Amino acid sequence: MQRTHPALEQELQQLIIAACNVLDPPTELMADAPLIGPDSPFGLDSLDAVEVVVVVQKEYDVRIGSQETSREVLQSLRTLADYIRREQGAG
Amino acid sequence: MNIDFPHRQSAHCESGVTANLLTHGGIKISEAMAFGIGSGLFFGYVPFLKMGGLPLITFRGAPGCIFRKAARRLGVEMAQEKFRRPERAREALDRLLAAGVPVGAQTGAYWLPYFPAALRFHFNGHNLVVCGREGGDYIISDPVFPGLVRCPAEDLDRARFSKGALAPKGRLYHLRRLPDQIDLGAAALAGIRDVCRIMLKTPVPFAGIRGMHLLARKLERWPAKLGDSQAALHLGHMIRMQEEIGTGGGGFRFIYAAFLQETAALLGRPELQLLSERMTAAGDRWRSFAVGGARICKGRPLPEDTYEALARRLRACAEEERQIYSDLQEVAR
Repeated sequence: MQRTHPALEQELQQLIIAACNVLDPPTELMADAPLIGPDSPFGLDSLDAVEVVVVVQKEYDVRIGSQETSREVLQSLRTLADYIRREQGAG
Repeated sequence: MNIDFPHRQSAHCESGVTANLLTHGGIKISEAMAFGIGSGLFFGYVPFLKMGGLPLITFRGAPGCIFRKAARRLGVEMAQEKFRRPERAREALDRLLAAGVPVGAQTGAYWLPYFPAALRFHFNGHNLVVCGREGGDYIISDPVFPGLVRCPAEDLDRARFSKGALAPKGRLYHLRRLPDQIDLGAAALAGIRDVCRIMLKTPVPFAGIRGMHLLARKLERWPAKLGDSQAALHLGHMIRMQEEIGTGGGGFRFIYAAFLQETAALLGRPELQLLSERMTAAGDRWRSFAVGGARICKGRPLPEDTYEALARRLRACAEEERQIYSDLQEVAR
């Protein structure tokens, strides 16, 4: 089932906070903030990105196949949610 | 002077550069096909060769081998050159561009200013195509970016003469002559046979399936030998090499799976389609290994995330791939 905006972004935020054990997570939805890197409000780095890729595959049955795809897709919760919607729509 | 160059974004730099250069020359092939024909899949763990104080772990062949092997198997004559001095290297580049020739270049990614700062890393095997020059800037088709980018000449010089392991030494390469006809199927099968040979029959213990087992043996001893902090540093390095640098273990296996799928359709060989699916599963297994390792590095391991368990998973990856390459070898014979 496809989730609509912003429910999927919200769901992803909770999923990532739990999977990556984010300490002091933001209370508001940070849909457009950088997801990975020094400016990420979640404090995620490239090792966390691996976990995000796998948890997304497990939860949504969507594979983020390559480094370059992941670089674009993991820019923010919104780009990740858009990718999931697109892939689920294509499937 | 700008060349009308067919820029396509790709998953991996050298296979993307290879596919784009060949397409510009008139051989329209996908990135996956270039990767497969160029036998891009590899594994190497060389503990005595250090990068930034950490052992060399690679999931692909030496820089340049994908382009060189793909060109040879397709009957394309290529040229490549290395330089001692940046001025000479820049002159050679400008001469080729003036002649309308798009030029592949090996660079150190860290020095390319169009990479966002957060994504810069020291890696001297980054490939791109220079396809124009406007004043003091080169126009670059960097396959990891969605469109053409600009790079000041001084920065490109610095990237081309980056120091350290795999130093590019200004290396340039380009197509010289294309054949009248190509046999894509035969080239794909030759690429498959080469990968099977490298992965199964390597004479050295640090390459192919043997290299995976060597790494598994070393990895399970890291905590006792290096201490927890250094062991986590080594593990983090391995995972970054696997999942980030040049696409890495999981990603390369997905590209190779796409190559097998394309070859199955090209040759009408359904058994290659099945092997493509097994290769995708192998990529997933590598990625699952990386997640367990990442959890250890981040200090949030699950009970099953231990170095011994990771070593077992790595051995399972190795044995799964041994079977895949053995079956592939039969198909491509």
